[in-house]
Amino acid sequence: MMRRAAGALVTRDLRLLWTRRGDAFQPALFALLMVMLFALALGGDAKALAPVASAVLWLAVLLAGLLSLDSMFRGDAEDGSLEQWMLAPVPLWWLVLVRTLVHWASTALPVILAVPMLGELLHLPRAQLPVLMVSLMLGTPILSLLGAVVAALTIGMRRAGVLVALLALPLYVPVLVFGAGAVAASAQGLDAVGALLLLGAGLVLALVLAPLAAAAALRIAHN
Amino acid sequence: MSYREYVIAAYAVFVVVLLWDFAAPRLQVRAALRAARLRVSRIATREPPAELRR
Amino acid sequence: MNSPVLDRLIRWFHQLGSPPTFDRFAARWAPWAYVLGLLTMAVGLYGALFQVPADYQQGDSFRILYIHVPSAWMSMAIFALMAFYAAIGLVWRIKLCEILAMSCAPIGAAFTLITLATGSIWGKPMWGTWWEWDPRLTTELILLFLYLGVMGLYAAIDDRRNAARAAGFLAIVGVALLPVIRWSVVWWNSLHQGQTIRMFGESSMDASMLAPLAWMVVGTHLWFVGSLLTRARADNLVRESGKDWVARLVEARR
Repeated sequence: MMRRAAGALVTRDLRLLWTRRGDAFQPALFALLMVMLFALALGGDAKALAPVASAVLWLAVLLAGLLSLDSMFRGDAEDGSLEQWMLAPVPLWWLVLVRTLVHWASTALPVILAVPMLGELLHLPRAQLPVLMVSLMLGTPILSLLGAVVAALTIGMRRAGVLVALLALPLYVPVLVFGAGAVAASAQGLDAVGALLLLGAGLVLALVLAPLAAAAALRIAHN
Repeated sequence: MSYREYVIAAYAVFVVVLLWDFAAPRLQVRAALRAARLRVSRIATREPPAELRR
Repeated sequence: MNSPVLDRLIRWFHQLGSPPTFDRFAARWAPWAYVLGLLTMAVGLYGALFQVPADYQQGDSFRILYIHVPSAWMSMAIFALMAFYAAIGLVWRIKLCEILAMSCAPIGAAFTLITLATGSIWGKPMWGTWWEWDPRLTTELILLFLYLGVMGLYAAIDDRRNAARAAGFLAIVGVALLPVIRWSVVWWNSLHQGQTIRMFGESSMDASMLAPLAWMVVGTHLWFVGSLLTRARADNLVRESGKDWVARLVEARR
């Protein structure tokens, strides 16, 4: 039952995404814009950009994900599908989990795939790229899961904008610290495995707890 | 240094992008005409609207 | 003063604004533009690849100029044309001009993408990296964002006329701000860099080396006309999808 519901939800989401497939590029374009703004602010010189490249890339991915949080539940809230979710015979947290993972795959994953190219724009040292990619693959799902809780809390609000950022960013801090920190550690010659393992543990915790919290938040915000 | 790979890559980018620029609008035109054809056939098989009774 | 030629020209211009007339016009002339463009570009590319001698400084990578420079010029020219069509469409509410303006955007974005990619590929053997934040490439990247912004805004609004008006207005704002952006990036560059010389084919060119460039410039313009007509035709058909002339058109094509 739960598998069928998940399959149906994934199919529906992918079909809806296909009708607006141009939008899938927007987070990646935002990340590119962020990279450009950082490069312009720092002077564009490779010597200035290379040391901060991995940090800037982490921030670009994080902020691009933040901006796309709005689309996680809003469409379904507006057309009444959310009520169908709450009445469904499958647990609400299961639907939230499936939705969050599809949302991550459609918003964060394209940005992550663009990171190698964005790294070239910032003169990222090649040696840092593998650790950066692993930290992003572990960290961004956590960001999506935490973001789902915040998106669920703010679902009733019309002008949630900056409020979503204010609520989500403090929660994002540990992920950023261990994610960007892993790359910084490896750049200094230290072992990044510790930080990456912590990220992995955080991911497991988030996979279990965040959907429950987001489901509770949806019920609260909806009533 | 052999520049050949770079020249080939640059020209390949040019060709690929122009190919997309050629194909995309042609597909759009075809899709629009097909949609119009389907619409015409839908209307043709429609039941005539019932007369209003006063 | 009565000028029959001018009268006919004006009447032709007005008739072109009628959707079915434009559809016929575009369907008829787009293939010609494509074919002529392809032939001209073929001549230009042949000259660029096989006739022009390798540059003594940059070797064969210099041949990338024959793609990079025409694409860069097209990216700028199309943006100006897009703003021009948008302005006419906004002021005189001419549907065809709205359609033409919106059809310019993807083609301009394509040429901008070619410019950026070929610039990066050309720069790799020169600079050792795939990218440098120099004024021209940075401005070109911003231009790409402006194009994508127009395309995105046009796609985001449901009503086609309102969407074209909003996106057209954005194009006009972009054209007005583009010189400011370019000047600011040049100023920024002079502040921070001033080091390595950007070798982008500014070396004085011999007349024999100019000919393929001229062919490419003409060829890309002709190709643009073909693409513009086809895209405008598609948009026209979509906007008019419920109308009678479209129904008659598809029935006649059976």
